[in-house]
Amino acid sequence: MKQIGIICLALAVFLGGGWLWAHHSPSAEFDMSKSFSVSGTLTKVDWINPHIMMLLDVNGEEWKFESNPPAWFRRVGIARADFADAIGQKISVDGVRARDGSKFGYMLRAKFASGRALELVREEGK
Amino acid sequence: MKPRYLRTLLAVAGMAVGAFAQAHPDLSGVWSFTIDLPPTKLKVENDGKADFKVIDRGLAAPRDAVVKGALPFTKEPAYKPEFQAKIKYLFDHESKEDPVFYCGKPGVPRIGPPRKIVQLPKETIFFYEDISGDPYRIIPTDGRAHRKNGNPTSYGDSLGRWENGVFVVDVTNFLEDGWFGEGGYFHSDALHVTERFWRDGANLVWQATVEDPKVLSAPWTMAPKVVKPSTDPLEESPRCIETDSKLLVNDDHHQQR
Repeated sequence: MKQIGIICLALAVFLGGGWLWAHHSPSAEFDMSKSFSVSGTLTKVDWINPHIMMLLDVNGEEWKFESNPPAWFRRVGIARADFADAIGQKISVDGVRARDGSKFGYMLRAKFASGRALELVREEGK
Repeated sequence: MKPRYLRTLLAVAGMAVGAFAQAHPDLSGVWSFTIDLPPTKLKVENDGKADFKVIDRGLAAPRDAVVKGALPFTKEPAYKPEFQAKIKYLFDHESKEDPVFYCGKPGVPRIGPPRKIVQLPKETIFFYEDISGDPYRIIPTDGRAHRKNGNPTSYGDSLGRWENGVFVVDVTNFLEDGWFGEGGYFHSDALHVTERFWRDGANLVWQATVEDPKVLSAPWTMAPKVVKPSTDPLEESPRCIETDSKLLVNDDHHQQR
């Protein structure tokens, strides 16, 4: 499946867990040792707590990605529309995958067809 | 009612509220969001140009800094010896046992200081933003007693009074099923919380003391939170749907709030 690849380059420096927000340790749910990339069509954006959720159609298979909570995105100036305006368009998502092997991950970076990209970056000293 | 009479009425009401505000420190206003958020910043790339956005955590001072007017505090509550095993179990299994992790109400004092305060002559109203919903609390300040027939709730029954420039809120009648803090901080129906609010310059300071003689060996005073004023308006919190729990492969967790 060429749209799915393992990437261990720039994002690897950010992996490790504690800086990602979850109501549990991220490593209990996601394989934090390596990131991966999925490209597909954005089909749905759920702006819900405790994590926003995105659905992608990847060659007819549905992938889900959660990310930081809505309150965090709001406070860095990102609204649901920043994602939802891309519904129906191509999107590339980099993230870490669920340990159970399901088509589910935590989004670390999203690149839209417009060329715009949003990426979670660890705060210095955190 | 003719417009000029209405204007006169509003002016008189405004004077009354203004006179009241002068009698006590004014806590009214919108205050920063203080619930812990991810320690991440956002990198936004447009046409090859990168811009970084960092959240304003709303704390004007680090949590371990000396805060003027604060009571002495400790990091953790002290449970009676017979509850040590229970507190350890809840701490170790926090990601499965904590109601807040599953969209439950944090209650008082876990929810922290309010996002908005409306201070009126006979009552003060707190508004919050929380992933479990957006609660409000109406706190009478007219000297009445606690309700005798109220149902227990997550946010309890609150009464307010002023003590030397400090707004003291006495809270009782809690549901038993909540935690007053991450770390397995369970409580009984005897939970009694005293919140203190005061101004430190432009900032709001909040500090709470937890008493529960059935499970705690002594009252616990938490570290104060210093909250900056905010221009970020309140917004209805999106609904909360927890989906991660079934994917957890172990009990690992980390401190949140």
